[in-house]
Order: sequence, then structure tokens, then C-alpha cells
Amino acid sequence: MRRLGTGLLTLWAAVTFAFFALRLAAGDPISSLLSQGLASPEQADALRTSLGLDSPLPVQYLRFLGGLTRGELGRSLYTQRSVAATIAQQAGSTLRLAVAGLLVAAVVGLALGIAAGTFRTSLFGRTASSLAGFATAIPAALTCVLVLWAATSLAQSSPFLLPLTRSESLLLPALALGIASSGALARVIQSGLEDNFDAPYLLAARARGVQPGPRLIWHALRPVLPLAVSFLALEAALLLGGTVVTETVFARPGLGRLLVSSILIGDYPVVQGLVLLAAVVYTLTHVAADTLSAIIDPRLRPSA
Amino acid sequence: MNLRRRFPFLACTALLLAACTPEEDASTTLNYGLTLAPTGIDPHLNASAELGIPLTSVYDTLVVQDPATGEILPGLAERWEVSADGRDYTFHLRDGVRFHDGTTFDAADVVANLDYTVNPDNHSQKAVFMLGPYELAEAVDASTVIIHLSQPFPPLLDSLAQVYLGMASPEALDAWGPAEYQFHQIGTGPYRFVEYVPYDHLTLEKNPDYAWAPQIYQQAGPYYDRIVFRFYEDPATRALALENGEVDVLGEIPPLEAERLDALPEFTLRPVAIPGQPMQFLFNTARPPTNDPEVRRALIEAVDRKAIVDTIFGEHSWVAEGPLSRNMWGYADGVSFPAYDPESAQRRLEQAGWILGDEGRRSRDGVPLSLTVVTPNWGNHPEVSQLLAAAWEAIGAEVQIETAPGFGLLKEASDQGDYSLIGINFFGTDPDLLRPMFTSSGLYNWMNVSDPALDAVLSQAATTAASQSDRQALYADAARAIRDQALILPIRDYVDLVVADNRAGGLAFSYQGWFPLLHDLHPGP
Repeated sequence: MRRLGTGLLTLWAAVTFAFFALRLAAGDPISSLLSQGLASPEQADALRTSLGLDSPLPVQYLRFLGGLTRGELGRSLYTQRSVAATIAQQAGSTLRLAVAGLLVAAVVGLALGIAAGTFRTSLFGRTASSLAGFATAIPAALTCVLVLWAATSLAQSSPFLLPLTRSESLLLPALALGIASSGALARVIQSGLEDNFDAPYLLAARARGVQPGPRLIWHALRPVLPLAVSFLALEAALLLGGTVVTETVFARPGLGRLLVSSILIGDYPVVQGLVLLAAVVYTLTHVAADTLSAIIDPRLRPSA
Repeated sequence: MNLRRRFPFLACTALLLAACTPEEDASTTLNYGLTLAPTGIDPHLNASAELGIPLTSVYDTLVVQDPATGEILPGLAERWEVSADGRDYTFHLRDGVRFHDGTTFDAADVVANLDYTVNPDNHSQKAVFMLGPYELAEAVDASTVIIHLSQPFPPLLDSLAQVYLGMASPEALDAWGPAEYQFHQIGTGPYRFVEYVPYDHLTLEKNPDYAWAPQIYQQAGPYYDRIVFRFYEDPATRALALENGEVDVLGEIPPLEAERLDALPEFTLRPVAIPGQPMQFLFNTARPPTNDPEVRRALIEAVDRKAIVDTIFGEHSWVAEGPLSRNMWGYADGVSFPAYDPESAQRRLEQAGWILGDEGRRSRDGVPLSLTVVTPNWGNHPEVSQLLAAAWEAIGAEVQIETAPGFGLLKEASDQGDYSLIGINFFGTDPDLLRPMFTSSGLYNWMNVSDPALDAVLSQAATTAASQSDRQALYADAARAIRDQALILPIRDYVDLVVADNRAGGLAFSYQGWFPLLHDLHPGP
């Protein structure tokens, strides 16, 4: 019950911030609508009135909140389509990209983290650790371009790889998106492993005769996993931000593209809808992360 | 056991591979790259230029424009008459034209289309304004329609030749309504609309019944069965899309990439001049120091416009010499802006009282010569602004550049008025596009110019002028006035660098510049 209240408060804060920030920061949507120099000032004012943009800001805000309570997100100023339909049309593509990106992040992050945390003194471990640092440090836009460049160079010598570089292919965008999140995940796992290898319970396990190898790593890894899962869940919530760059560079459809173009042309209702969606996803993934962590780690379950 | 352990990995790999299987690609499909993902693609309601690239071939228009000269030729109307007072246009329509949904096209459909466009509830963003002083349309009989205007408006025929006033099936307009019609467009053109998924693709299919082609088309009928459009907004990825075979035609290629691709045997570079206004900067005549015409002249002379164009746009662009680009009618031949002459620029500033002080900076009565340039963040404006700033610093000015990302913010900066120069231009095929910018009450009069003589010339050219040659003379007067008062700094006529592979033979563009004649595309160079 309390969590529901907090969640609603978060959503309200997010949409309110989006409502006012957009109107103060972005330009007048009417001048974007009429970017061809054809309309007279009177015609522009008439359009403003018919779209309800001439009423004072507090009135527009109350109208917007009223719509939300009825489950209405409004209509795009440009296409007059409902915001829900506009977003739904783009959501599938972003969802596929996000899931594939998360898979890449989980696989790469886990591999790098285990390598760096287990073989911390060897060259192998240090290389893994540096790679993780590198993946965290380079900006998403650069990752995209690097991945695209590497794939194109490869495809020039092996033409059968060419289809992978096309915009329908999910592989490269997922790699670019996933690599960006994998570095931080690897760090989480690495530091957890390093702590646990020195912990008394692992010494006890060794004393019980658990040989160094996969079983011992599993012993050390298990307590780290809840943290890793919460971390991935947080990343999932932030993926909408990551897809903005990835979708633009790889010419894919999706919510990121919709968000950028809607901000640039001042299509407030669509941006507000997307912010609300992001806030909902953020809240839900937190709940999901808590639940998942409790399944993996019995210590986190509420005591019966 | 081993396989089971590996299962998650195999599953992930399979998932990724399955997701990247390419679509089937028949030799009768042409792939066309677009550079902007438009917001809303109903040409009757939305204003984007990009939407016309596919949709010009979905709709026929009452009249068409000769791609080379802009001359108005018969389209869905076989012939037309204009009343003596210039207020009534009577169109006689062709017989036997059918929409893609099978219904017959007649005069009532023209009326229904115009009603849809001017209906205030539909919020048309461009087409309604192209109709100017439109009053109403009436169907006299099945093949005759009259458009009444409240006052003469010579640009009307030009407007009616554009996709924004293309003829749609009224049944479809009614059935889908203004919000959903853009996904279900029905015209009478050589290609029919199949599917549009925003930011992803738009598909057209050949109209096998197309037997009413206007004379602008060369080929007997469309060649390609399907044309699929995709969107490449990031300029850095456009050359790649051509090279990996994803698209056959793509415009707005960055100059260096365009020249590199042109050198390859499988690609051809097609520079396409776009009519309208050139890339230009408007002087703010209401704010010092650019309120002084001598300062404006000095600033124009201080700039080596040819060097700027060569540096940024390469060999395929011309230096602009007026408020209109040279490939459109209305361009004033022989009117040119002051040439590069930094000494003369320095002299002018000296005489206007801007004295060179320490550190090479000019000032007058203790006020430094300080310029603020507001630049759009698109179309190489920022790069050009940097070179302009360097040229003006060389003659002793201080220059600040402010970048406006997006048209809305550019408009906002213009409303605030804190600039010496601001970059903006509009494309279009009728010189009447000068009116909103250069008349004192114009919506885009960002120069704050107020010249009754210029107002009269531009208004006369768009209303009472009887013939195109009368209008031509008036626009030449306007170009001279704009040059003499040094209201703008024109930089470069816009050229779209289109690169096509050898599947896009016969690639040609409408007079409007951006819109390809898809009907004539065929394999071959």
C-alpha cells in the first residue's frame, strides 16, 4: 500500500516536471507546425486557439491532469492521433531492442565480472577488468559508431556478414546498447566476488573440501546475484535513454526516435506520454527487482 | 548434459540471429532512403517536405509543373480558364480516372478534397495556406469544377500542382478521419500506398491501372512493382546504407562522402538544385550596429562567400546572389550582392565612426562593434557561422554565435530580438514565399524591415499582377531593393546531393526539387 502511494507520487512528480520543463524550455509548437512561412499571424493564432494552446499554463496543466485521471493521454499536436496509439506503435521495436540489449549486458557483464573477480592477479583477469572499465567509460554514441564501423570493416572482407549491418538487423544495435551497460555490471560482480573470496564462509567451504573451480565460484557468486539483478533492473529502466542514441545511429524505429523528434518539434502531449511511460517502467522494474532478489536470496524474503 | 548447460547461450544466439534475418528482396523492389522521419504524412494536413518524396507518386494533381521550367501543364484537369478578374478558376477534368480503391474521380471529389483541407477542425499546417484567399469550390457538372477566390491570387496554379493539394478519395478521407487517414491514403497516382510504420518504413506498390499519366513522365508505365522507403536521420550512416545495398537512392549525402561514392563504378552522384530561398542570414535592422545600412554593407563585403561555399559545400554549390535561388523563375538575373572586398569594408566602418582601437577591435563612442549571430543547428548553418565570425573578427568586430536547435527555438530567438543576424530560409516554387519575410507585417519579418515600397511590390506581385512576366519584373524590383538596403547576406543556393546506384536509372525530380518522379525509375545507369 505504501509502495503504491510512493509510486503514484513518483509518477505525478515526473509528469508535472515534464509538463512545465517542456513548455519553458522548448519552443512554441505552432511555429514548428507552420515552418513554411505561409500562414499569417492571425491564422497562426487561430490554430493555437483550436489546439487549446492559448489558455494559461495552470489551466492547461489542470486539463492535462484531468485527462490523466480518466486514462487519456491526449492527442499529438501534429497528427491528431491519440498519444497512446502513437506510443504503442513504436513500443514493440524498442522492447525487442531493450530485451536483446539486456541479454547482451547480462552475458558480457557476467563473463567479464567473473573473469575479473576470480582471476584478479593474472593478466587474464586484469584484461577483463580493463575491458569492463573501458565499456563503462566510452559514451553510448561512440559505442554505436565503433560497433558499426567494426562490423562494416569486417563485412567488407566477408560479404556474407553484410546483412548484419542493415538496419533491420537487431544484432549490432543490441551489442552497442548492451556493451554500454555491461561494464558497470561487471564492476558490481567483480567487487562482490573479490569481497566474498576473502569472506569466512568461503574459507569454511574450502575447509569442507569444495575444490577451487566452478563450484567455488558459484559459492562466491550467489550472494552477489541479487545486487546484479537489481542493477540490471535499474539499467532496464534507463534503457529508454540508451535507445535514443542507438535507434538514431542504426536507423531503427522506436520510442527513442519518437522522443527526440517530439521534443524537437514541441509535440508536448507525446513527450508527456513517453515520460509517464518511462516513470511507470522505472517504478515497476524496481518492484520486480526486489521480488527477484528475494527469490534468489532467501535472506531477503520477509520472515514468515 | 553438456548441451543443457549451454542452452541459455544457444538460446540467446538463436534469438539474435533469428532477429536479424534479412527480408526477401526481389529484383522488382526499389529501396529509397529518406533523411527525415516526418511527423504526420497526410499531405493535406502536414507540412513536411519529406512526405512528398513518396506521396507525389500516390496522388495526381489538377495541374502539374514541367520539371525543368516550372510551366503549368494539364494534370487531372485537361484544361482550365481563369476569369478576367482573376478570382474564378474553372477546371475541366479528364474522364476515366479511378482512385486506388476503384471509385471514379469526378468534380464532386475535387470539392470534397478542398473542403477537407480548409476544414478548421482538421488543422491543416500547409495546404490550407497554399490556397491563399480561397472562398469555395463548386462542381458545375461531373467534369467541371470552379474554384472561387475572394481576391486574385496568381500562385494558385503552382499550389494546385503540388502534392499538398493532391486528389484523395473522399470515401477514404471520410472513413478514416484526419488522425488515421495518413496510414490509409488513397489517390489516383502511378503508385498506391500500402503501408506506413513511422520511423521504420513506408511501402508503395505499382498501380497497374494507371492510364492517365501527365506528359511530364517519359516512360510508358512504372517499372518497379514495389518501392520501400526507410529513414536515415544520422548523416554519418547514409553512405553506409548505400554501400551495404540497403538502399538504392539516398539524398542529403555529406559532400565528402558524396564525392567518394561518385568515384565508385556502382554509384552516380546527382546534385539537385532546390528552388526557394538560398541559405541566408537576415540582418536585424532594428538594433545597433546592424540598423546602419553602411555597417551591413561592410559586413557583406568582409565575407568571401565563394571561399565559404567551396570550403563547406564543395564543388556542387553556387554562391547565392539574391533572395531567391537562381534555378527558379522570379530570380533576378544580373542582381548581385557586393563582392569580397575587405579594404572597402574597413573604409565603410571607419566612415561610419567605428574606429579601430587597441587589440584590433573597433568601437564607436566607447561602444564596441559587437555582433550576435543566431544560427539554426541544421543544414551546415553552424559551420558557416564560424567562418562568418572569423571574417568579421578580422575587420575588428566581436562576434557571438548562438545556436538554436529546432525551428521553434529559432522562432523564439527571433521574437526576443537580441540578434544582429539570424539564419533562416524557406523552400518553394512560387516567389510569393518572399512575402511573409520581407513585408512589414510578415510573420517571418525577422529583419524588422518596414519599407512601404517593398510591401507594395510584393503584394502587387502576388495579387493584381496580370501575367507571369509582370510578376517576374516585380520580383526583380524586390531583389534590387533587398540588395540596395543590404537586408540579407545570401550564402549558397541549396543543392541536394543525391547518390543512386545502377538500379535507379531515369532518376529525375519534379520542379519542386525534393520529389522524385518514381514513375520513370528503371534498372540501368
